[in-house]
Amino acid sequence: MKKVLIIGGGGGGLILANHLDTNEYDVTVVDKSDLHFYQPWFLYIAFKGSKRKISRPIGSLLKPGVHFVQDEISAINLDERKVYGTRKGIYTYDYLAIATGTTPDPDAIPGLRQIYDEYGDYHTNVWNSEKLWSHISKFKGGTIAIGQSSATCKCPPSLLEGAFLLEERLRSIGLKEKTKIVFFTPFARAYSAEPMNKVVEPFVKERGIEVMPFFDVDTIDVEHKTIASLEGDSLNYDLPIIVPPCKGTKIKIIPETVQDEDRFIKADKKYMKINGYEDAFAIGDCNTLPTSKTGVTAHLEAMAVSEIIQGRYAEFDGRINCPFDTAYGKATFVIADYNNPVVPYPPTKTKHMMKMSMARIYWMTLMGTADPIFEQFFNHTKPEKLNKKFAATE
Amino acid sequence: MENFKIIDSRGSACPGPITDLARAYRNSKVGDLLEIWATDKGVRADTQAWAAKTGNEILEVKEDQEKIVIKIKINKR
Repeated sequence: MKKVLIIGGGGGGLILANHLDTNEYDVTVVDKSDLHFYQPWFLYIAFKGSKRKISRPIGSLLKPGVHFVQDEISAINLDERKVYGTRKGIYTYDYLAIATGTTPDPDAIPGLRQIYDEYGDYHTNVWNSEKLWSHISKFKGGTIAIGQSSATCKCPPSLLEGAFLLEERLRSIGLKEKTKIVFFTPFARAYSAEPMNKVVEPFVKERGIEVMPFFDVDTIDVEHKTIASLEGDSLNYDLPIIVPPCKGTKIKIIPETVQDEDRFIKADKKYMKINGYEDAFAIGDCNTLPTSKTGVTAHLEAMAVSEIIQGRYAEFDGRINCPFDTAYGKATFVIADYNNPVVPYPPTKTKHMMKMSMARIYWMTLMGTADPIFEQFFNHTKPEKLNKKFAATE
Repeated sequence: MENFKIIDSRGSACPGPITDLARAYRNSKVGDLLEIWATDKGVRADTQAWAAKTGNEILEVKEDQEKIVIKIKINKR
């Protein structure tokens, strides 16, 4: 039996494992943690104080026949097909999939570590989100600076979702008049992709959220509560909400030429094969694919890789489908692919309901039991189809 | 030593080519030449706005059937 080794028990790793035939393949998932988290909910812990349980044991999310090993991988040698675990020794494989996600790097920016430790954020883990919620619940007014510290970040809509949910919260408790929300972004506008920006910019304006575009954080002066950007601007804050830079995996990979300067793994954009290797794949946030770092891309990349490993033709078309909570009970989706620009898709209550129900259906999507629903959804919401309807009306 | 770097953002629609440009800018130094390849039409206007904001120079903008190519010289960092 051919051995498939999957490093990482996030969405990409689990979906791949659950779509391989265990009568034909010996499938093992390795992760340093034994828990899987539903990351989109970090937002609701940070801005609404949600107490929802968003973790489940990785072992319980794998179909029978797939092995799970809790181990921390220190090195991968792609030429020798060997993977080195810090606890359980050396693993070998016929096929390897690296699905390690991103690593937050609060030490990359001077001053950020202190902010990160003290205030948390809404992007990295449950504890950081709880920390941020405790600061938001104590907040009495002033300037809140909120945004991503550098251009590479998971889940592009989440940054502005944070600003929207923050504004909704402050308004609901009567603090809006005493607060200035400044949303800083390394991009040219509030939302990076222009067609979606046209949809959400009116909300940004009517809710009084100030936007500082082309603001890539260079340094933070914690003593004077000032953030300086690479582009030469500065911003004062009373409460900082700063998402740290996202970097690639910390695992040492041989040869090191397969990683870029931020340790993301270079892979081809249709088949996710690591550059120069036919038997090794990089799935989801850990790779360099020119698409958003988001759960849906990890999902679709994993589905394609499972087909490729099993000898059937499949490719990833760059499809993104990112739920975007615009607050006050409405949401939209950011939909595009490699060949089609982002759809200017209007927010509705139904889409918000869909985003909320995803928190329940999510566990089924990992197991593959929701595949028929998703297939239907993706077919009905192809970007070329939606763009004909929504982009044409502009 | 000055570097020349190609930033291949073809296919990127969201967050888009400016993500890759901003990342390359962070890792660049004065004198470096960057060449961004993109298919997203917004890249022209966004790169121009970016260059104006950061004080960097656009040397050339070309477009063929496959891609838009923008050459940038880093003058300020």
